[in-house]
Amino acid sequence: MKTLADKSTLNSGVTSRSMVPLELAVIAVGFVLVAIFMRVHWTTNFMIFCMLVLSYDLLYGYMGHLSFGHMLYFGAGAYAAGLWLVRINMSCLQAILAGVLCSALIAAVLGCIVVRTRGATFALINMAFNEIGYFVVYSALRDYTHGEDGLSCAGAPVLGMIDPYDEYHAFGFVLVLLLAVFWFMRRLTSSPYGILIRSIKENEKRVSFLGYNTSAFRWLTFVIASSLAGLAGAVFAVVQGFVSPMAISSFGNVEIIFAVLIGGAGNLYGALIGGVIFMVIKNFLPVIIPGAQKLVDFTLPQWELWLGIVLLIIVFALREGVVGFCAAKLSAIRAGRTSEGI
Amino acid sequence: MLQTIVYGFTIGAILYLFSIGLSITFGTMHIINFAHGMVYALGVYLFITIIPLLAGSFTLSMAASIVAMIPVAYVVERYVIRRLYGEGLDYSIIATYAVLLIGTDVIKMVWGAVPQPVVDPVGVSISFAEIDLPVYRIVIVLSAFAVFVGLRVFFTKSVIGRVVVAALEDPEGVRCLGLDVNRYFSIVFVLGSSLAVLGGVLYAPISTVEPYMGFHILLVAFAVVIVGGMGNLTGTFIAAMALGMVMAITGRYWSQASHAMVFVVMAIVLVLRPIEET
Amino acid sequence: MIEIRDIDVAYGGAQVLHGVNVTLNQGEMVFIVGRNGAGKTTLLKTAAGLLEPSDGKITFNGAEIQGTPAEKLALRGIRFVAQEKRVFSSLTVRSNIELAAYAAGVDVNKAIEKVLSLYPKLDEFMDRKAGSLSGGQREILLIGRGIVGDPAVLLIDEPTEGLAPVVINDIFRILSYMKEKVSSLIVEQNLSVVCKLADRVYVMKEGKVTHTFTRSDLVGGTKELERHL
Repeated sequence: MKTLADKSTLNSGVTSRSMVPLELAVIAVGFVLVAIFMRVHWTTNFMIFCMLVLSYDLLYGYMGHLSFGHMLYFGAGAYAAGLWLVRINMSCLQAILAGVLCSALIAAVLGCIVVRTRGATFALINMAFNEIGYFVVYSALRDYTHGEDGLSCAGAPVLGMIDPYDEYHAFGFVLVLLLAVFWFMRRLTSSPYGILIRSIKENEKRVSFLGYNTSAFRWLTFVIASSLAGLAGAVFAVVQGFVSPMAISSFGNVEIIFAVLIGGAGNLYGALIGGVIFMVIKNFLPVIIPGAQKLVDFTLPQWELWLGIVLLIIVFALREGVVGFCAAKLSAIRAGRTSEGI
Repeated sequence: MLQTIVYGFTIGAILYLFSIGLSITFGTMHIINFAHGMVYALGVYLFITIIPLLAGSFTLSMAASIVAMIPVAYVVERYVIRRLYGEGLDYSIIATYAVLLIGTDVIKMVWGAVPQPVVDPVGVSISFAEIDLPVYRIVIVLSAFAVFVGLRVFFTKSVIGRVVVAALEDPEGVRCLGLDVNRYFSIVFVLGSSLAVLGGVLYAPISTVEPYMGFHILLVAFAVVIVGGMGNLTGTFIAAMALGMVMAITGRYWSQASHAMVFVVMAIVLVLRPIEET
Repeated sequence: MIEIRDIDVAYGGAQVLHGVNVTLNQGEMVFIVGRNGAGKTTLLKTAAGLLEPSDGKITFNGAEIQGTPAEKLALRGIRFVAQEKRVFSSLTVRSNIELAAYAAGVDVNKAIEKVLSLYPKLDEFMDRKAGSLSGGQREILLIGRGIVGDPAVLLIDEPTEGLAPVVINDIFRILSYMKEKVSSLIVEQNLSVVCKLADRVYVMKEGKVTHTFTRSDLVGGTKELERHL
């Protein structure tokens, strides 16, 4: 059965250790350039989204498991961090840690159920949990989360110096975290574990016949991906100073999938590029769409139409995403060169 | 309490009518069809537009909107669903979700985002033992039963129905007899879509008609289909009634939790069920 | 009648058939033997129109048919009987035959008569669910379905697999009965059945035809065949 994620085999090999610092530097420079062309605090949000997309790529791109409920963990991380700042102390680092642990814990528990399913059921049961999470935030725990009104949370400067509400400080802080996540993902996906989960995507039965407990690995990947999403959510809460139920809304899942597809699934650069492209489009489209536009947090009127059309185009025409498309062109050029004896 | 039970069956009936199409499409083509929500919503909006044109006749307008949606369902099947046949799951989810997004936006553009009220066509209640039972809800439940029986007859007696049952189990075998399986799948796809429109129109007087209604019912319908078993017609009926009851009873005590409770039940069912293979 | 020329077929991402050549002439009963994984089923499925070769040609009475889908080929007279004895188990035996008749555009009662002429005992099971039949009965039903509408060619995949010797005899008798009436290409593991019925045998190994035996080669029994597997 073909999946979108199958098509990207780029960078799926092992990258040598010495390349990594160079890669990180390139990415850092890339985002600085983006920040120069767009607003700094927009870029900060882009980077947080890229963290979320990276986390999703681990689950979907590398292991081939499509989930329609990843936002649950982003939202859990965001609310946990926000509530920490409001109720416990104002330490941003501790709040972020709380966010990650909260998502990790939820993923660990729900993962036991989720791992028993595959394919369509996997996608949908995650969506169901996402909906339950939304309900919990919106209604059940309204006294804590303030439901619809959202939660304001203020944190003290990190390490006494980095002020999360200063544009440039926030940018630097989030950039460092994004690089750390990228580095972690790079190490993880090039390790034997990374090869194993990619094999699970190819043919899970074969892997289990080799003696591996595939359910355990799927559970582990689920927890890691969800924890990273929680990290993104927690950082979001800290830097924004405000969390609303939009952070846990299941509509956001489409946007993550969209970004992964644009960039190319199963590819770390694809996740970054897709995340940036998507965010740029999303922030500029309201300017382009004629008529009065109110900038609403995640979903915009008439936004759905364009998103839908582009999604259809991608599914039916541009499956490998930007990175896949470029790589195909590159190898075509290379093949052309060698055949001409250059 | 009796009111709640009747309401539970009513919701169950609507869920059943909507979920049948989803279940069949997944059973036959292994495609999760988010666009089903779009057909449902669009059908209801068409119904609202047609009613004043047909002198306010509920049944005539219902029939007209179902008929009007048949070409729409056919176009979706021909140009989106059929292209997804044999592709991976992710394609089908994303592409049909895209159709749902587009449809929702079209509805918002044409009809606006404000909820549209629809009047209860029967408007009469039975009163006994101090309880008011709207007759209309009973009509809905009876309709669902009628459809259930009708579908059973269709799938066991008619040729088309039996071809589909055979194809659900062994599509290659059906092809090797000389039958174009896709054509039969299209027929049941349109059938499933029409049932969804029927459900939507029946539900309209007692629910909120707004552009996102397709999304909301889809989520619960997925729970129905998963609990009932994809492609399992009887299972879908039982699951729909059961989950409808869950929603009604939860709604009585804690109204915002009714949706969420459905998913809790679904999660419990999945835990207790044996682990599935791909 | 059917000429399979030099076909390459890929399946599940791997190249399964390499340059395979097989011929089936009118009135012949030709067998394909080989170990598991040799590509025999892939060959039949490709001839049936369920798979498409990436290279090579298949002709049927001179017309090229590679790439034509199975449902069209079935109507043109090429019918495939799959392995694992998969019938439409939730339908009755009668319904199974009715669908075949409907597809072929043939009168239902004539179709039932035809199937019963193959195996009269099936009459007892007409209104039972096909899934409740034994393996041998299911295979007979499958072959019966396959001949509704008088196809020119039958492609049968492992008809005796998993059956007890007594039942294999029944299948053998049915195949003998059909021998002159329809041209068949059969994948079979039971070499004694092969030797008694074959006009020609192709031995396959790892996606290629390694040896061809004619009727006269098989006079000595199964030993020659076994050596080449």
